[in-house]
Amino acid sequence: MTAHITTDLNFEDADAFYESLLDAHQGLSREQSESLNARLVLVLANQVGSTQALLACIKAAQASKDA
Amino acid sequence: MAPAAQHYTPAQATNGYEFSAGSGYRLPTYPFVAPPELATGQLKRHDIVIVGGGLAGLTLACALNQYGVRALLLDEDNSVGVKGASSRGICYAQKTLEIFKRLGIYERIAAKGVQWSVGRTFAGDDEVYSFDLRKQATHNVSEQPPFVNIQQFYVEGFLVEQLYDRQQSVGPEPVEGHAPASTSSARTLSESTIDLRWNNRVTAFSQNPNFATLSISTPAGDYTLEAAHVIDCTGARSPFRSWCQASVTAKKGDDRWCIADVRFKNPPPVERHTWIEAPFNEGRAVWQHLMADGVWRIDYQMRPDADPEEVSREEVVRQRINRQLGRNVPHDEYEIVWVGPYAYRSECLDQLRHGRVFFVGDAAHVVSPFGARGGNSGVQDADNLAWKLAAVSLGRAGSGLLDSYHHERHEAATHNVLVTNRTARFLRPADGAERLFRSAAISLAKRHPFARQLVNTGRMSTPNVYSRSPVCSPASGGKALQNIALQWADGSSGGVADLIAWANGRLLLLVFGSLSPAEARRLSALSASAQLRCVQVVSSSVQSTAKEHVVDTEGHLQHAAGGGRWALLRPDSYLVASGMRLDAVLIPAVRLATGGAA
Repeated sequence: MTAHITTDLNFEDADAFYESLLDAHQGLSREQSESLNARLVLVLANQVGSTQALLACIKAAQASKDA
Repeated sequence: MAPAAQHYTPAQATNGYEFSAGSGYRLPTYPFVAPPELATGQLKRHDIVIVGGGLAGLTLACALNQYGVRALLLDEDNSVGVKGASSRGICYAQKTLEIFKRLGIYERIAAKGVQWSVGRTFAGDDEVYSFDLRKQATHNVSEQPPFVNIQQFYVEGFLVEQLYDRQQSVGPEPVEGHAPASTSSARTLSESTIDLRWNNRVTAFSQNPNFATLSISTPAGDYTLEAAHVIDCTGARSPFRSWCQASVTAKKGDDRWCIADVRFKNPPPVERHTWIEAPFNEGRAVWQHLMADGVWRIDYQMRPDADPEEVSREEVVRQRINRQLGRNVPHDEYEIVWVGPYAYRSECLDQLRHGRVFFVGDAAHVVSPFGARGGNSGVQDADNLAWKLAAVSLGRAGSGLLDSYHHERHEAATHNVLVTNRTARFLRPADGAERLFRSAAISLAKRHPFARQLVNTGRMSTPNVYSRSPVCSPASGGKALQNIALQWADGSSGGVADLIAWANGRLLLLVFGSLSPAEARRLSALSASAQLRCVQVVSSSVQSTAKEHVVDTEGHLQHAAGGGRWALLRPDSYLVASGMRLDAVLIPAVRLATGGAA
């Protein structure tokens, strides 16, 4: 990994976040959900900012892909 | 003679229960005694009547007994546990164990129950993650472990026996060996203050602003009594809900489970195993953990449309166990102790007090089993209400203190509903985005520690915070204090629970560090005028100037109690307030904690 990103627990309140995330998707069609996810990824990426860190995040997510 | 001892099937390690197909454990029974009202025909007014002798009702009875307050306990049955059912609660969390320590049954629970430290979580054929509690550096300052697993009826049986033991011991209370020496602390309790009435079923109820009237049916006839305070501990099917027209906030899902309590001839390793997606259960969840007597609880998530009768047939249960173990297991390799299909819902009464009636435990709130928040919150409800009832009954507090039961325990119940609903949603995700995110969380968790926090298989019951309590300081109170280890003045060891027992229903003022002569005078005036006990907490005995002091060598108690000069602690081990200066602010703090009448 080229940049250091944290994959240790960093959530203030993981359960509250997860609940809000599911709530945001409640009642959406599959297309609407996918579109929400895409927008959310971009918003979160802007919070991270650093190119190195974002590339490391993409790699971390790819590495966990379901077999 | 303790009737409990005559009838209780002894809880031996080898075979502490008897299983006969379909009827579960053989549970102890207690004797019905015809109530005196049947002979006299008198209508008696009781101060406190507890209805329901389950976990919450018995905890409340034991606590009131310790405070020396009279109460009547009515139970429609003559046994503990649910008829024909193995067990409900199986996991008792630290705060609950600390309460049981004060009530004198913790040692029996620890000896009979099971503790585990290794937990493994699986999805499909993979282990997602595992943990070993012994290797975690979580600084555990309590004398009690994070939890003990034990069948609920054992806990209930221990509470009943504790009440019968008190009835036997007529005479002065045994010397409280480890309490700070104080001649005024000797309790005058010489007999049980609890009248246990088995086979007494409440059939009708009415109330006015001053008292309630209960109609009661028994095998020897029916009678009526009046009660200034009715404590409803009758469980999730409480008749008092409709009698009081109590409104309920509820949520019901379609998740179905089926428990198989089994005992293996060759037991598996003592580890908690959790499958979020078990390949041997059509990709649904399975829980496996150990209780007392070597009995394993295996809890299988079923199809939402599964027929409860079909899934709990012995043959079908054995097929599931065969699939889990990957072979045709001969019948004599394990016995099925109990099978129980269930669905769950969440419910919370909007008001936990309706006139003279207080709702406690499942009567007040029902949650899914995840995180063991049902039984544990029932015990903590009872512990919250018991000291308040005692303080009002003994004239130490105004009756307004009782209203704080709703404020504090409704906040707790609402929180428990929120937390358990989140787990339920993780375990039974809606198709689409919810399932997608669960799969993402599981696959990330195999590699990245952060995502393990998203895998929600239950959030263990922890003491609730009272942030909106009218009888705690919003700034420094409303938090539970653990049973932190201490040393008594003579060097012997004890804990916060012993200090609370010594205060015996009174508020406990902890004063940290050395005292100036003026401070010492102020404190002795305060403890003489108000109904509280003071104890000086010092880092070594050399500093002590008060007659009653304890030693907190590492400063754990001072740190946990807010880090100031003083902390005011309630009989349920919750902080009222703490402060930096030993000044006039103490008096309003005491008044606050007693509902305005110190």
